[in-house]
Parts: sequence; structure tokens; C-alpha cells
Amino acid sequence: MVQYNFKKITVVPNGKDFVDIILSRTQRQTPTVVHKGYAISRIRQFYMRKVKYTQQNFYDKLSTIIDEFPRLDDIHPFYGDLLHVLYNKDHYKLALGQINTARNLISKVAKDYVKLLKYGDSLYRCKSLKVAALGRMCTVIKRIGPSLAYLEQIRQHMARLPSIDPNTRTILICGYPNVGKSSFINKITRADVDVQPYAFTTKSLFVGHTDYKYLRYQVIDTPGILDRPFEDRNIIEMCSITALAHLRAAVLFFLDISGSCGYSIAQQAALFHSIKSLFMNKPLMIVCNKTDLQPLEGISEEDKKLVAEMKDEAMKTVIGQGGEPTDEAGVLLTMSTLTEDGVISVKNAACERLLNQRVELKMKSKKLNDCLNRFHVAMPKPRDQKERPPCIPEAVLQARAKQAEADAEKQKRKLERDLENENGGAGVYSASLRKHYLLANEEWKEDIMPEILDGHNVYDFVDPDILQRLEELEREEGLRQDEEGDDDFEMDGAELTPEEQAALAEIRKKKSLLIQQHRMKKSTAESRPTVPRKFDKDKEFTLKRMGRQLSALGVDPTAAIERARSKSRGRKRERSVERGDEIGNDAMDVDEITPSKKQRRSRSLSMARSRSMSRPRNEFVPGEGFKDKPQKERAIKMFKKSANKRNKDARRGEADRVIPTLKPKHLFSGKRSSGKTDRR
Amino acid sequence: IFRFCRSKCHKNLKMKRNPRKLKWTKAYRRLHGKDMIQDSTFEFERKRNRPERYDRNVTENTLKAIKKIDKIRVDREERHIAKRMKRKKTKELREAAKELEQSIYLVPVPEKSPVTLPDKVPVTQKQSEENRMEE
Repeated sequence: MVQYNFKKITVVPNGKDFVDIILSRTQRQTPTVVHKGYAISRIRQFYMRKVKYTQQNFYDKLSTIIDEFPRLDDIHPFYGDLLHVLYNKDHYKLALGQINTARNLISKVAKDYVKLLKYGDSLYRCKSLKVAALGRMCTVIKRIGPSLAYLEQIRQHMARLPSIDPNTRTILICGYPNVGKSSFINKITRADVDVQPYAFTTKSLFVGHTDYKYLRYQVIDTPGILDRPFEDRNIIEMCSITALAHLRAAVLFFLDISGSCGYSIAQQAALFHSIKSLFMNKPLMIVCNKTDLQPLEGISEEDKKLVAEMKDEAMKTVIGQGGEPTDEAGVLLTMSTLTEDGVISVKNAACERLLNQRVELKMKSKKLNDCLNRFHVAMPKPRDQKERPPCIPEAVLQARAKQAEADAEKQKRKLERDLENENGGAGVYSASLRKHYLLANEEWKEDIMPEILDGHNVYDFVDPDILQRLEELEREEGLRQDEEGDDDFEMDGAELTPEEQAALAEIRKKKSLLIQQHRMKKSTAESRPTVPRKFDKDKEFTLKRMGRQLSALGVDPTAAIERARSKSRGRKRERSVERGDEIGNDAMDVDEITPSKKQRRSRSLSMARSRSMSRPRNEFVPGEGFKDKPQKERAIKMFKKSANKRNKDARRGEADRVIPTLKPKHLFSGKRSSGKTDRR
Repeated sequence: IFRFCRSKCHKNLKMKRNPRKLKWTKAYRRLHGKDMIQDSTFEFERKRNRPERYDRNVTENTLKAIKKIDKIRVDREERHIAKRMKRKKTKELREAAKELEQSIYLVPVPEKSPVTLPDKVPVTQKQSEENRMEE
């Protein structure tokens, strides 16, 4: 089925734009440079080319216009009439005719001027000929400017016409203005037609599509028709009349029972009768709308009579098609588009009637046999009288029965959604999921189980046989406790007695003292002369001392002293050594710390030690580390020499590196009389 | 995702310090055997991946058991630590005894003491020869 689609017509430019387009194209697409020094044939050719090119373009464009606009005689009479109604056939044809003549004129002009150009003898002459040719062509176009504008308007309007297929299944809706035609089409299709309280809201045809029994139906909404003589009708009404006249469709005549459209039933009936000639050979249905305002039974007697008349007319169409004469229900229907009461049934009835009519027609036509030949339903021939119903397995039957039960149950079961709506809606009510829990005891459903106890996750401990394990654990623990008790007793045996502890403390004290003393004396060989033991300078290893130490330990020293004396070398040495020994205790002596140490010390120092141990500084003593006396004197001299320098620097000793003033002012300030001060 | 009991732990993590090397962390203590590592009480607190159906009795028992298990676990840990500390005591005692035996010569001999000086060893010929060698 060809869909009449007027959207593909190219834009018709208006006069000025047309001229501009063509001329600029000529300028761009043809060579532009020519000099008077060229050969004359070249000049002529140049200008002839321009003229011909322009003419060709004009011709092409005008031809496209003429071809694309539909010829009213060649298209479906519905569209032909529609376009006539909308645009006036004569004007339309005239406009296209003018375009045609313009085209021819331009061709003639071009031909003439090309002939003249063949004999142009100078550049100037050729150029002026070309200018004249183009000028004339442009004037032609300028003259048809109004036609072009008109065609452009038509084109724009045509593009917006609804694409109605005149050959497919169509349902046509007609009636007075404001009876509810557009509301009806809004209800059954996806069309979105304006519905307003004033008359003539719908000003043109609207198409919607609806489905019935797997087939697509076009539903056409028409503007309202008033009851007037044919000649007085305006364009809008003519649209609907055209549609009624030409389209082979099922017609739904809408009747407003309540009279709220502003017209009584009598008026509507009058209209019906005046246009009933248009309903020839079309399945007609009377639809009473707005039954919510006024039911069909409630109208007055005259109105009822009028309606009955209309119904009879409608019945005639039914009978005319060979349908059942008793099918009254399919002829007069009631509905209300506001409450959507009966809308679907109206649609179904209309579609059904149309379908039946079309099928019948097809059956009567010659083409039917071709169709019938294409399909064939094979039925097996019965070979005996045995009944062979279709075999459905038991399981399937049971499943079906169960399914039916479940469906029935679902209908009457209360849904969670209903519960939610009752209790305040989605934001307010939160469904309790606990009621579906499967537990051993129903009372436990609302229990709150603690998750944390003393910093432990309870879920980690949960175990059905936790009691048993706990018992084992406790038993273990008991055993362990007993073992622990045994262990503790063993340890006590190794304790020390108080006397032993006292002795240990003494030992440790003595040891620490020894260590201290050693650390005080400790030095490396570099800072102290390594003198062999036989030069006992500090007189450490004397008999007296040994005796003292032994007696401090509680041992009688006399035997040891005797023995040592007998074994020793010479008496001379001992005498000189004993000089210091006889007199008193060395205060530094570690071994004997007697209580009256203080007294003793002071006395011995004052009395005995005053000049006892003193020697002259440069006396040579073998235990010190010098080879002989001159060496010692040299050493002393060196010492004094270095001391001199240090004393001059007011340094207390070798290690004294104190700088009394880090930045003395006299060194860091002041200008120089001559020279730079960048170094201080 | 890490959660910390206090900012000290958080800041140490940010400094990228290894907890196994920081003395005060549990990781260190477990690694170096300062705290108890393996024990049957730890078996009770194991993550179970299969959810159990709720049973009130079981939950009750569990809650009671948690407390007891806790107590036992804490006791065992304390005992572990005490045992560890005791080792030092034994060592100290041993050393004290040894020191007492060896260095008793530094202390004056009391009249009645359990420690006695060793008996005099008679000087043999060999020893006197050695003395002469030295000199």
C-alpha cells in the first residue's frame, strides 16, 4: 500500500532567492576569467557556456517543482478532493502552469541569445549579450514570484496532512461539534487530539491507529458538521464531508444524548438524515455518547422515536450487506467517554463489522480464488466411528487444576502491598519480615538476639553442643589447677637463708667497689707508661697490706707474712719501701674501712703524712717510667714550656677551649680609612 | 579497613611501623611467645560461615558459656605469664648460689657460718718447680 506522503517535496524558493541561487551557482561553477586578448571563439564560448548553464539550472529546478507536486487527477480521489477542498484545484493548477510556461520562456530566451552570441565580435558585445540573457531569465522568474510563494505555502501545509491510507481498514467518526468524537479517539488510540468545550476544536482530520484481532485499524477523527445546505459549508466541514465521501470505512455517527453539546437530539437527527446518502455501502453505527449525563432510557418519547428512526436507517445498511437482520446490538450502542463505560465494546463492534464487510467483499471478488488456492487446512478423514479426542496427560491436567486453584487463591489472598497501604503507605509502614521465619518454636520470632557480649561476637560462640564442650573444658581446667598446686611446692627448696643472703650482699658490694676502683685506675697504655711490676711506685704490694687484707677476711696472717719475709730478696729495698707503710693507713686503701677512719685520717695527715711521702719533683724514681734523670728533667721542661703558653692565653688546661667573647666588637665593626671591608 | 582503639595505634600505622617489631603490640607479644598462643579456649570463638537457625535455648547457653570461657581464658593467660616470670627467679637463685660458692673469699669468715673454707692442699714438688720457673 502506497502511503501518501507529501513530506518529500523539495522546498520551493521564492523569486529572489531562486535567482540568487542560480546566478551564484553559475558564477561558481563556470570559469570566471576572460580577457579581451583571447581568441574570439574562446570569448564566445565562454559566454555561451554561462548562458546555457544558467538556462539548464533554471530548467532543472523548475522541472523538479512541477514533477514533485502531485497531479490532482492522478492521485486517489480522496486526496484529490481533499486538496481541492483545502487549496482550490484551479489555483493550484494555474500556479503549476505558470511555472511550466516560465520554464519554456527561459529556454527560448537562452536559445535566442546563444544564437546571437555565435556572432559576437568583441568581448564587450559578448558580455553585454550574456548580461541581457541572464537579465531576461531573471525577470521571468521575478514575474512568477507570487506563484512560487503560493506553492511554497501549499507545500508546507501538505507536509502536515495526516498520512491516511485510503485502502486499509478505516473507521470514521462523524457527528455534530462537541459530541465527544475527539475524546473517543483519544481513548482508543494513542492520538492526542485537543479536547475543549468550544465548538470546532478539531479543525482538520486526525489519524490514530488501533488494533483488533491482530489487525491494524485506522481511526479518523473529523471536524464537526453542522446542518447546513451543501453549498454553505466551510472548508473545515468540507474536509469531513470529503472523508465521508471517499473513504471506504466504517462510520460511527456520534449522538450526544444529554444535549450538552448545545444541540438537541432533533437537530442531530436532522443532520443525520441530510448526510445519510454518504453512508451508502458503509457499515454504519449509531453511538450514543455521554450516557453518564443522561442514560438512553431517560430521554423523552420524541427523542426516542428519532433515535429509532436513525437506527432503522443504520439497519438498512446492515441488511444491505447481507448481514444478520437481527443483530441489533451492533447498530445502536451507548457509551460514555468520561467514565470509559462501553468504549471498548463500541470499538470492537465497529471493527468487527468493518472486518466482516471487507471479508465478504473479498470473498465475492475474483481475486478470492487466488487467495484460497494459497492455503489449505488438512483434516484427516475419519476411518471409523471411534471418537478420538485430543490426548492430554494426567500430570498436565493436574497442573492445570492446581494452577487454577492458585489463581483463585491469589485473588482472595491479602497481599503485603494491601497491608502496606492500610498502615500508612510506603514511607510509614515497614514490613515485618520476621513473621515468615521458620523456627522450632513460634514464640521465638520476636526475639532480639544480642550480637556483642564483653567485647566478643556472640555469633562466633554459638554452637549446639557448646554445653558439652564447656563441661570438658572445665574438667580440664580442674585437672590443670591441681597440677599447678603440685608445681608450686617444688620451687621453694632453693631459697637462700638470711645469712646466705647477707653474705651475698657483702660479696656484691665488695665486687662493685673493686670494679669502681679498677675503672678509676683504668687507662690505655698511650697515656700511662707501662712500667714492670718490680718498680712499685705506689707501694701497693707490701707485706703490711697483705697482712691487713688477710685479717679482714678473718684469717691469721702471721704465717703468711713469715713465709713471705723469708722468701724475699733484700732488706734494703724493703726498708725504703716501708717508709710510708709504718706510719699510717692509706686513705685510699679499700680493704680496711674502719669506723674511726675520719679521726685517723686527720691525725695521720697532720702528723705523719706532712712530709713523709713527699719527694723533690725532679728526683728520679725507678717506678715512674723514665729511663734516667736527664730524661725526666727534659720531660719536666717540656711540660713547663707548654704550660707557659697556655697560661698566657688564660687557659686553665690543655682541654680548655673557652672563648670568652665570640664576636669582639673591635674586630667586627668600624670602617677602614682605605681599602675594602669585605674581609674581617 | 582498619579500626583503632586509640590514636597511638593509628599514628604508628601511618608511620608504617611493623607491629611485629613494636614491643607493646599484641602481634609482637604473640610472635615472641609473651602471650598465650594456642589454647582450647580459642577454639570456642571461631567464625562459622554457615548460619545457624535461631534457638533460644542455645543462645541462652551460649551467653552463659561465654562468661565462663572468658574467665578460664583469662586465668590461663595469667598463668602463662606467671610461668614465664618464674624462670627468671630460678635463674637468679642458681646464679646467686654459684656466686656465693665462688666468691666467698671476699667476705670475712664469720664464726658460725655454713660456708667453710676449703681445706689446705699440701704443696707438691711439681708446684714448687713451677714457681722457680717463673722467677
